[in-house]
Amino acid sequence: MGIHINGIGVVGGFGAGVAELISCLEKGTINLKESPSGSPGDYASSVYLACTACLENFVQKRALRRIDHFSQMALLGAYLALQDAGSPSLTEKRTGLVVCSGYGASQTTFSFLDSIINDGDACASPTMFSNSVHNSAAGHISISLKLDGPCLTVSQFEMSVPSALLSACMWLNEHRVDQVLFGAVDEYCDVLGYCWQRFFGEGNSGSMTPLSQDRQSAIPGEGSAFFLLSKDRSPSGYGVIADVDMGRLDDKGISPSEDTIFIVGADGHKCCDRLYDDFMPPGAEAACYSPIYGSLPIGTAFDMAIAALSIRERRIFASPETVSDQAKYMIIKEASRIAPTSITCLKLARDSGFGTITLANG
Amino acid sequence: MKQNAPVAITGIGCLSAAGMSLKDNMASLFAGKRHVAPPERFFSSHPVSYPVFEINEDPPPERNKDENFTRTCRLGLAATNEALLDAGLESQGMTGLKAGVCVGTTVGSTMNNEEFYRDYRRGMHPDMTIIETFLKGNPAAVIARELGLSGPCQTVVNACSSGTDAIGIGASWIRSGICDIVIAGGADELCRVTYNGFISLMISDDSPCRPFDRDRKGLNLGEGAGMLILESDNFIRKRKKPPRAFVLGYGSGCDGYHLTAPHPDGKGLKNALAYAIKESGKTINDIAFINTHGTATKDNDRTEVRVLREMLPDILFLSTKGYTGHTLGAAGAIEAAFTIACLETGMIPANAGFITPDPELGASPVTLNTHISKKIAISDSLAFGGHNAALVLGIERC
Amino acid sequence: MNINEELKKIIVKDLFLEDITWDQIEDDAPLFGDGLGLDSLDAVELVVIIQKYFNVEIKDMDEGRIAFQSISSLASFIKERQST
Repeated sequence: MGIHINGIGVVGGFGAGVAELISCLEKGTINLKESPSGSPGDYASSVYLACTACLENFVQKRALRRIDHFSQMALLGAYLALQDAGSPSLTEKRTGLVVCSGYGASQTTFSFLDSIINDGDACASPTMFSNSVHNSAAGHISISLKLDGPCLTVSQFEMSVPSALLSACMWLNEHRVDQVLFGAVDEYCDVLGYCWQRFFGEGNSGSMTPLSQDRQSAIPGEGSAFFLLSKDRSPSGYGVIADVDMGRLDDKGISPSEDTIFIVGADGHKCCDRLYDDFMPPGAEAACYSPIYGSLPIGTAFDMAIAALSIRERRIFASPETVSDQAKYMIIKEASRIAPTSITCLKLARDSGFGTITLANG
Repeated sequence: MKQNAPVAITGIGCLSAAGMSLKDNMASLFAGKRHVAPPERFFSSHPVSYPVFEINEDPPPERNKDENFTRTCRLGLAATNEALLDAGLESQGMTGLKAGVCVGTTVGSTMNNEEFYRDYRRGMHPDMTIIETFLKGNPAAVIARELGLSGPCQTVVNACSSGTDAIGIGASWIRSGICDIVIAGGADELCRVTYNGFISLMISDDSPCRPFDRDRKGLNLGEGAGMLILESDNFIRKRKKPPRAFVLGYGSGCDGYHLTAPHPDGKGLKNALAYAIKESGKTINDIAFINTHGTATKDNDRTEVRVLREMLPDILFLSTKGYTGHTLGAAGAIEAAFTIACLETGMIPANAGFITPDPELGASPVTLNTHISKKIAISDSLAFGGHNAALVLGIERC
Repeated sequence: MNINEELKKIIVKDLFLEDITWDQIEDDAPLFGDGLGLDSLDAVELVVIIQKYFNVEIKDMDEGRIAFQSISSLASFIKERQST
C-alpha cells in the first residue's frame, strides 16, 4: 500500500496537538472533565471532553459562529494536521478529503429535534438541520480550507476508521488525488450518556480498566484525529500505512506479520474487550491506550496516531497502568526506545467485525 | 490521470414510489405516472401539506423474526435481493468470495427517533429497542451480515450524492483487486425529521415538484433503494455471466462554498463531470443523455443547467425526481439504475413536472419520451456541504 | 422594550453573532451582504425566528427579501402583519 503519513492533528480529552498527546502518554493518565451538568441520569460523572478554544488560532471567531462543537473538533484536527505537515499547498496538489464518524453530529441532531418539540414543526431550525447531516464536518472543512477535490464521509460505527481509510488509500493508489486529508471525529452528548446508563448500569466512577474481563469500565470520550496522507514522503513524516483490512472474524482470521506490535482498541466495554483474547495471537506484544482518549467509535484513529508517533519517535509508549494484564499475550507496561518496525492497530466490534491498520517504517 | 478500466455491472435492483422493481419503475416512468401525495406514515403540523413520494407497499420483512431492521435497511435489502437475482447470484451464496458492500444513506445512519427523544426529555424511561435497532442498523453492515460477506464494508454519508459516490467507490474496489464482487448503491426511508428539515430550509414544494420549470418551488422528498452488483472481469469470466452495463468513469469534487447552497458557477460539479468523463476515455459526442440531480429547487436547477450548457451543450437531459422524489442517499443509485435501463431500452422518459421553460436557465429537459441511440450516459448528484459526484455509465465495454 | 431592540437581541442570540452586541446593530444598516453579513441560511433561520417570536408567517423568500433589508424594515413588516 505504501501511503505516507506526513502530518497529524489530534484533539481529545488529552488536549490538542501531538505534543499534548505525547505528554499524556508519558504520564499515563489524563484529567477528566465533568460531564455537562443537568443531564438526566448520566452514565459517568466525568467524561473525556475535548476543548476547541485554540481553533481561533486558525479561523476567525466570526467564521465559527454557526459551526457546532462536532464540526469544530474536526476543523481543529484538520488544521493541526496541516500545521504539523508544514502547511503544504492545498491547491497546487489535488487534495481529497475523507472524514469518518461513528455517530455523526448527534448533539446538533437532538438540538434540531428540540426546535421542533419546543416550538412546533413550523419552527424547526434550518441551521440545526443543515449542521446535523453527517457530512457537515467535511462541508465546513472544505469551505474553510477552500478545497475543491473529492470528498467523502463514512459512518460505520467502530469500523468507521478502517473503512474510510481504505477509500482514502485507494484514492491515492489510483492517482485520483495527490494527497488526502483523512480524519475521524465523534462527540459526546447527553443522550449518549443516558443510553450508556440504560445499557450498562450505573457505570464507571473510577478509571478505565480495558481488558479486565468482568468489568464494564468504558468512559465516553470525544475528539478528532486527522492525518495528511500522500504517496510522497515528507522529511518529517511518520512512516507508512502498509495495510488496511476489515472483515468478519468468523470468516477469516487476522494474519499479522510476525514482528508486529499490536495496539488493541479495547476500551472498557466488557462485551467487546472479551473478544480480543480469542483473536490475539498467543505471545504477541500489545499496547492499549484507550484510557488516554476514552471510549468512542473512532478510537482507532487515536491508536493510529499513537502508532505513527511511535514509528517516527522510535519509541514505544507504555500502556496506562489501569490496562489489565493478559495471560495469552503481553500488555506493554514499560516504555522503551526500541524502534518498532511494524505496528498493527486492531479494533474488534460487537458483531465480530474486525478492522486492522498496519503502519511501518517508511 | 489515466483512463480506467470499465467495471462490469451484472445485476440491478431498484425500489421507489414509482415501483417495487426496476421493471415496474421504468414502466411508471415511460407511462408518465407520478405517485405523489401527502405523507401517510407520519403527521406534520405544518398548515400546508408538502407531498412526498412514499412507498405504500411494505418492503419484505426480515427473514429472521428476532431481527428488527430499520425501514432503510429493509429497502436496501429488497433492492439487493432483486439485484442478486438479476445477476444470477441469489442461489450461489456469497460466503468465501472477496465481496464488499458500499451503500449510501442519510436517514439510515441518523439516530433521530422523535418518540424516544421526547420521552427522554420528559424524564421517562423509553424502550431501548429503538437504540438497539439503530446500533444494529448500519445499512452496509446489515447487507454484509445478511449475506455472510467478509470484505470491505462502507456506509457513505455524503448526503444527496451518497448513492453516486458509493457506486464510484465500489468500482474502485473492483479495479484495485480487493474485491471480486461489490454490492454498491443507496437506500433511504422517508422520515418526519428530514421532512421538517427541508421545509425549514424553504426548499420544499407544496405541490408535485417541477424540475427545471420556470415556476418550480422546490423538492418533494421520496424514499427507496437502488443497488448494483459490480463484478471483476475474472469473476464474470468464471461465471460466464455477460454484464448488463459498465461503470466507465466516476468523478467527485467540492464547491468549498456554502453548507446548503451550491456554488453559483457549479465549480465542484464541473470538476466531478470533467474527471468522470476523462476517466471513461469517452468524449462529449459519445454521451446520449444526462440523468441530472434536478431536485426542482431554484438554486440546484439553475446551477446544474449552467454547468451542462457550458460543458455538455446540446445533450439531452432530464430529471427523474419527478417520478421518485428526492430519495437523498438512495438518489444517485436509483438514478444510476434508471440510466442503465434507459440505455438498454434506447429511450429516456419525459421530465415529469416540467411545463414552462425558464428563460433564466436557457435550456429545457426532454418533454416527451425520446429515443436515444448512443450507448453511454451520465448520472450526476449535488449534495449539501457542496459535494458533487458524477458517473459515466455505458452498456458497451469500449 | 421596543420591537427594534427585541429583534436585535434575538438576532444576536439566535444567529450566534458572538462578536457583536445588540446595540451595535444600526436600525437601517443592511442585514445581508456588506452590512451585518448574513447569508441565505441566516435568511431561512430568520423566517423561523419571526414565526417563533412574533407569530408572523413568511411564505416565501420574495416576501422575506423585502422585509429583511434592515431591522427597521423587518420591524415594520412585523407590525403590519400583526395588526391584520
